[in-house]
Amino acid sequence: MSIVGLLPHLVNGLALGLLFALLALGFMLILGLMEQINLAHGSLFALGAYFAHAIATPRLPLPPDMLQVWAQVPLGWRFTAAMFLAPVLVAPFGVILERLMRRTYGRDPLYGLLLTFGAAMVIEELIRIAWGTRDYMLPVPRGISGGFLMLDLIWSTYRFWAAGFAVIAMAVVWLVIERTRFGALVKAGAHDSEIVQALGHNLEKLRVWVFVLGTVMAAVAGVILAPIWGIRPHMGVDAVIPAFVIIVLGGVGSFWGAVLGGLLVGMVVGLSGAYASEWSMLSMYLLLILIVTFRSRGLFGKKSVLEA
Amino acid sequence: MRTGRTVPTLTPAMIAIWLAFATVPLWIEKVGLYQYLGVEILIFATYALAYNLVLGHSGLPSFGHGAFFGLGAYGFGLAQLNLVPDLWFCLAAAVVVASVGGALVAAFISHRRGIYYSLLTIAFGQVFWFIAIKSHAITGGEDGLLKIARLPARFGVATFDLTHNISLFYFVLAIFVVVSLLLWRLVHSPFGRILKAIKQNETRARFVGYDVWRFKAAVLVLSAGLSGLAGGLFAMAQSSAFPDVMSLHYSGYIVMMTLVGGGLVTFWGPVLGAIVFLLARDVIGAVTTGWMLWFGLLFVALVIHKPEGLGGMFIRPARPAPADAKK
Amino acid sequence: MTKSRITRRGALKASLMTATLAGTASFFGPWKHNRVWAQGKKPIKLGLTCDASGQYGNSGQDDMRGMRLAIDEFNAKGGVLGRKVEWITADTETNPATGTRVAERFIAQEQCGFLLGAIHSGVANAITQVANKYGTIYMNTNSSAPSEAGENCSRVKFVWDGNGTNFSKAAVANAVQKIGKKWLLLTNDYVWGHTTAAATKAEVEKAGGQIVDNLLVPQNTRDFTAYLLKVQQIKPDVIAMAIGGDDIKALRQQIADLKLEDKAAWINNQQDWPDIWGVPETLFGVFGTNWYHKLALPGVPEFVKRWQTTYPQSPIPVPGNVSYNGYMATRELLRVIEQVGSTNNIAIIKALEGRKMAAVDRMQTYDAYIDPVTHQIQQTIYLAKRNPKPADNTDLFEIISAATPEQAIDTASLTTCKLKAYTDIPTYEQ
Repeated sequence: MSIVGLLPHLVNGLALGLLFALLALGFMLILGLMEQINLAHGSLFALGAYFAHAIATPRLPLPPDMLQVWAQVPLGWRFTAAMFLAPVLVAPFGVILERLMRRTYGRDPLYGLLLTFGAAMVIEELIRIAWGTRDYMLPVPRGISGGFLMLDLIWSTYRFWAAGFAVIAMAVVWLVIERTRFGALVKAGAHDSEIVQALGHNLEKLRVWVFVLGTVMAAVAGVILAPIWGIRPHMGVDAVIPAFVIIVLGGVGSFWGAVLGGLLVGMVVGLSGAYASEWSMLSMYLLLILIVTFRSRGLFGKKSVLEA
Repeated sequence: MRTGRTVPTLTPAMIAIWLAFATVPLWIEKVGLYQYLGVEILIFATYALAYNLVLGHSGLPSFGHGAFFGLGAYGFGLAQLNLVPDLWFCLAAAVVVASVGGALVAAFISHRRGIYYSLLTIAFGQVFWFIAIKSHAITGGEDGLLKIARLPARFGVATFDLTHNISLFYFVLAIFVVVSLLLWRLVHSPFGRILKAIKQNETRARFVGYDVWRFKAAVLVLSAGLSGLAGGLFAMAQSSAFPDVMSLHYSGYIVMMTLVGGGLVTFWGPVLGAIVFLLARDVIGAVTTGWMLWFGLLFVALVIHKPEGLGGMFIRPARPAPADAKK
Repeated sequence: MTKSRITRRGALKASLMTATLAGTASFFGPWKHNRVWAQGKKPIKLGLTCDASGQYGNSGQDDMRGMRLAIDEFNAKGGVLGRKVEWITADTETNPATGTRVAERFIAQEQCGFLLGAIHSGVANAITQVANKYGTIYMNTNSSAPSEAGENCSRVKFVWDGNGTNFSKAAVANAVQKIGKKWLLLTNDYVWGHTTAAATKAEVEKAGGQIVDNLLVPQNTRDFTAYLLKVQQIKPDVIAMAIGGDDIKALRQQIADLKLEDKAAWINNQQDWPDIWGVPETLFGVFGTNWYHKLALPGVPEFVKRWQTTYPQSPIPVPGNVSYNGYMATRELLRVIEQVGSTNNIAIIKALEGRKMAAVDRMQTYDAYIDPVTHQIQQTIYLAKRNPKPADNTDLFEIISAATPEQAIDTASLTTCKLKAYTDIPTYEQ
């Protein structure tokens, strides 16, 4: 295989990797900062996609005349609105989930995992009831859809836009965690909850906000990825597993670990799709077993309560 | 395992459960169900008991047990179709194949704990599932491994035909009795006590001088082997083996059955869980395709309010739930 | 299975049991029932094993619409052998384990004499295993893996859809001559895909073409970018796809979005109607089907009309190939029961084997027959492409050719299929 032939697949893997990293980020936030495994991450991701579709196509439960007005708005605006509005609509689900999870704090993290596993089942069924079993596609505005020519090949324009959106979303999260007071408090809380309380902050409230941030990130990923992966009830399960794999690969609790894990998974999936398509489905898991066998806490992992 | 070291080999509860199962074929059709459902419930009850050896008794949250169940099913079918079509031999093959699979996984993950353990079992489960689908020449892919016979059970002079669901039910019941007796003895043996010590505090168990790695590996192999036995029975019940039982979904179902029934606090919880799960699936599933919604809600409610599961409602927990033991 | 002779006491007990059963059934068995004739002769009962969820949930329900139409038509004429035809259905979830359970329930508990329905070959096989055990006749309406009528054939199973080999035979030779010799295969990585790809490869090579690569696409793939890049690098003349279900919808969308449809000739082995309905804008290339609702043949408009009157609320407004196969399988079964004069399974199987069905009767171009060697229905295979001048919004296809059953026959299955002897089949009468 020549380098020239390989190059497109490396580029594709990189773009895909950024999207995977975005997908894993919300999951990582809740896991790293709250030491809770949110298996419903995928379901929140799916809800983001479904809400975005409802806003953009438009299928909102609004009075017909209002809906008609909204339908006249250019797709570009509807798509933009979906990108910002859908995560807001999904956020309450995160709040509810956090309330339910409260009962499991301080217990074996297994209970949080099981609770969210059940919640994921429930959300998936609710989606089936609300939207049916069929697939939907989220339409992309003309300006960022279609194809363009690069390296003598036709590429999907939206894919690169999506990768760009992913970078922006991740940068915002990084700034919030590393450069704001909120981020500092949250990080402190993860390490020593007593200090935070001693400083007079409400830990409960802080936890809700972390959960909401994780939920919003899941929904944002859902909106951005919907035009690429399609929308269907099962998409939540399909998404949560790679997210899981990426976090373990990158190391629990590490922002850059999640990014690097996502890039690695993207590369492996992209390259195996092109050169060893028979193995593409398995590649992610083999990568995980390989890395975790040699580096038991993943690439950047620290010791955490989850190992107990 | 309340106080003393001696636990009776046979308990009234155990005998009551066996006898209750023994009456099932007499009335199951009269309540609008069917014999095959009884067979399936008993197979999954066996499987859940075997699974609980790792989850409930050792505190190892495996999420890839479907792989072992499926390996057993394929082991049974392949031994029958390619080697010797003898029931005992094929069941032994199911156990061996699944145990070897278990040993392979154990070699990679036995130094792991908690969520990392879960994750790696998911990854291995996916790998086995994928291989089962890909090895079309051996397993038939998702077309399935077909034409697996319900072989007759030979006991020296007497031979029992198992083609009918009722006779198969009693055969599975016999296996269930043996497996439950075996597991009961095991968890109440010195080996079982070490498992419990590992579950409660692995570090301390290690300090006390136990070779924790070896015990964790052994228990996974054992559980895999018995899950494989259940898988072999399932292949016989279905007259075929399919990769679907190895999927993450099915691995999740067995975790749910075990937890809903109360596997974390009672020995028999997984059996109750299997009954509730499969009955709910059959009865609710007939009314609405969204039966998972109701089961999911039940599950969430249980995790929040009654983490010890349904079994925990009927008994006073003999030992504290691991949740409380933790911190 | 012939029941043993019934003593009077036994009969009394049995009737008591039935009474109890009837009482409990309403509580425990909330299955969708269609009880109309309470008295008179015992009804003939069909079990419809249709997916309502999972990968083929949509197709399974469309399949069932066809079956129910046929049943309704017979009941409107006074039933079969003077007996009402009853049906029952349960979701088989596109899952073999569920298929087994549902089949067991239908045969053992619900006393169904016949089972109909399948899309997924794994589910079809799971049902076949149960049917084999009881000798129950099973109509595989829509699972089109070539193995269904090949190595996995059965004396009790009849296969109504055209399979991957049939479509390859109909499409390939012509395309090698007219379009080009350099072929690329894009194959769903599961049994139906593999066997179909193998059949295509054989046909391509026979016609003097060459397979340059075979890209295996995992099931449930939604992002085809890696494959589409590879396709562009290889630059084949023809791309033969064997991609099923919702996967092909997503692939079509992406090809259309990138405007790759003109870069090569795309051939899709078989295009199921429920998979194209809803995204017609992505239809391109050449694809196979065994029926279309606007075929210019006698009987077609009337059939479509009947179907639409029966299902005014259907999510798919017109019958497609899946519904058609469900209808044809059910209708032929009921006709044969009538003709044989009993529900004896062996008699019915013998009557079905080799049965000839006139073209006009099946609303196809050529006469069809049930192959006695494989139990597959050998029938007309159409090739179609997107209709540039649709008559209405359902008129998506333009039929471009029709192959006779002889041209499209899957010759390999004739040797791989081994049917059991009649004497090895448990007999029953319902």
